[in-house]
Amino acid sequence: MNSLIVNKLMLSFLTIFFCFSLVVIYLPILVMIIFSFNSGKYQTLPFREPTFEWYISLIADNSFINSFFTSLMMASLASIFATILGFLAAYAFSKAKVPAHALLFGIVVCPLVIPMILIGIGMRLQIVSIGIEPALWLVLLGQTLYVLPLAVINLKNRIDKIPKSMEEASISLGSTRIKSIVLILAPICAPSIFATILLTFTFSFDEFVIAYFLTNFEITLPIRIWTSLVTGFEPKINAVGTAVFMFSLTLGLIAQFILLFKQTEIHKNRAQ
Amino acid sequence: MGNSSNTINPWPFLLPALLLCILFFLIPTVNMVVLSLTTENGYGLDNFKLFFNTPHLTQALYRSIILAISATTIGSLVAWPLAYFIVFCVNKKWRPLFLLAILAPFWTSFTIRAFSWQLVLSDNGVMAWFFELITGISVTLGILYTMNASIFGLALFCSMLTTFTLYGALVSIDIKLIEAASNLGAKPLSIFKDIIFPLGLPGWMAGIFLSFIVCVGDYAVPTLLGGGLKPVLAQIMLSILKGTYDLSQAATIAIILAMTVILCGLPLIVYGLLRRNRLSV
Repeated sequence: MNSLIVNKLMLSFLTIFFCFSLVVIYLPILVMIIFSFNSGKYQTLPFREPTFEWYISLIADNSFINSFFTSLMMASLASIFATILGFLAAYAFSKAKVPAHALLFGIVVCPLVIPMILIGIGMRLQIVSIGIEPALWLVLLGQTLYVLPLAVINLKNRIDKIPKSMEEASISLGSTRIKSIVLILAPICAPSIFATILLTFTFSFDEFVIAYFLTNFEITLPIRIWTSLVTGFEPKINAVGTAVFMFSLTLGLIAQFILLFKQTEIHKNRAQ
Repeated sequence: MGNSSNTINPWPFLLPALLLCILFFLIPTVNMVVLSLTTENGYGLDNFKLFFNTPHLTQALYRSIILAISATTIGSLVAWPLAYFIVFCVNKKWRPLFLLAILAPFWTSFTIRAFSWQLVLSDNGVMAWFFELITGISVTLGILYTMNASIFGLALFCSMLTTFTLYGALVSIDIKLIEAASNLGAKPLSIFKDIIFPLGLPGWMAGIFLSFIVCVGDYAVPTLLGGGLKPVLAQIMLSILKGTYDLSQAATIAIILAMTVILCGLPLIVYGLLRRNRLSV
């Protein structure tokens, strides 16, 4: 099949282009990781002695540790909320007759196609005009809204592929609707649900604008990093960057693996 | 049997999600529109007139649009060879792995990615050091904190995003179609022109649209790579809310940004609708 579409010359061009792109994509991250182990206050090469100094000072810095735990809590709760709400909504969109289907689906997934900063500003102006103080629980709800479209789309894709007959069979054998969802539908979707939690967690963990607009004092990790980047350089930023990169990358990759490979598996099963 | 499926009441399942969207998205949006139309003496378009009569705001709008268009264009062009390589030159089994190699940095913080480019592009960064190592000449790059650096940073993001959406379109092309064309004597170039390109188009367009949205609203790359001297609209919004706190001005800017997205996205949406109609006919 290859030779039908791509001749030798094109193949070598495409291969070189792909490799070059990989270098461009990974170079700065590699540089950051190297610098995080570099002693010396200034970010210049050549490399000096290797050190763990920045990682140690990071652990000692309460503001980073606290903001990390705030982010961890926000992202865990937001991802679980969004996945639950998303699962229920996806079920309704997939299996029930929803009036004004297109409109309601549009409303639910709309936050995906609107610049984040507009949603953040909208919420901030809203809470100011009705006189609510910025607080962490608002960030939680805001971030749940932000990752909800991802959850709905992911889970709807999965639920669409489950034939209605499964549920109908259990109901005609005397199960209730709720019971058949919890005992049949949810276990079938378990890999997708797990992937969705991971995916929404990663997005919420890195989310900046909503957290920046909706809270004043209890800051999240992205805000702490941002503050340090715009107010003056601290060498431990490289260490934070490396840690956050590794953390998000691991979670994101697991989620993506499940989604991509499950998808190919489903296609395979269908073909058989 | 068929009857029982119609008896599912969608509302208990739908309501929680819908309520969240209404409270945190629809109502704030309406509120924002109202705020932008509120003036000292009642309602009117004064805020918008003021916006377009303030040179540093219109310049920021202009910069936002140029930045988004440039980055989206570059990203969309880079996406073709990347997606093409992954789909047509890589063994089927390994495709997801190659896609992941391109997408992996995508899952990490925007801010940290932008920051990591500072280390490479700055005047005493890795690129300048490398250049000096090879040529022996010490140069001042002058790339960091310019519009070009912003465009570069966002173009990278756009190319990843568009590669992802284009991959989805290309990977679902039926191989038999290509084989048939080839059996009938089509050359690789005409296979690309008549089969692969038209079928990849929806995925490509989706990538372009999403890229543009992200670029127009981004503050991190313009701040960290573009610097603060020539701000884009998103940077100005950020500084208003943390600084002067002029709410109706912030709302006005937000509405103008939203209009920009809608106006620039309109041709793509119309194209998508026309295409769908043509296909169904």
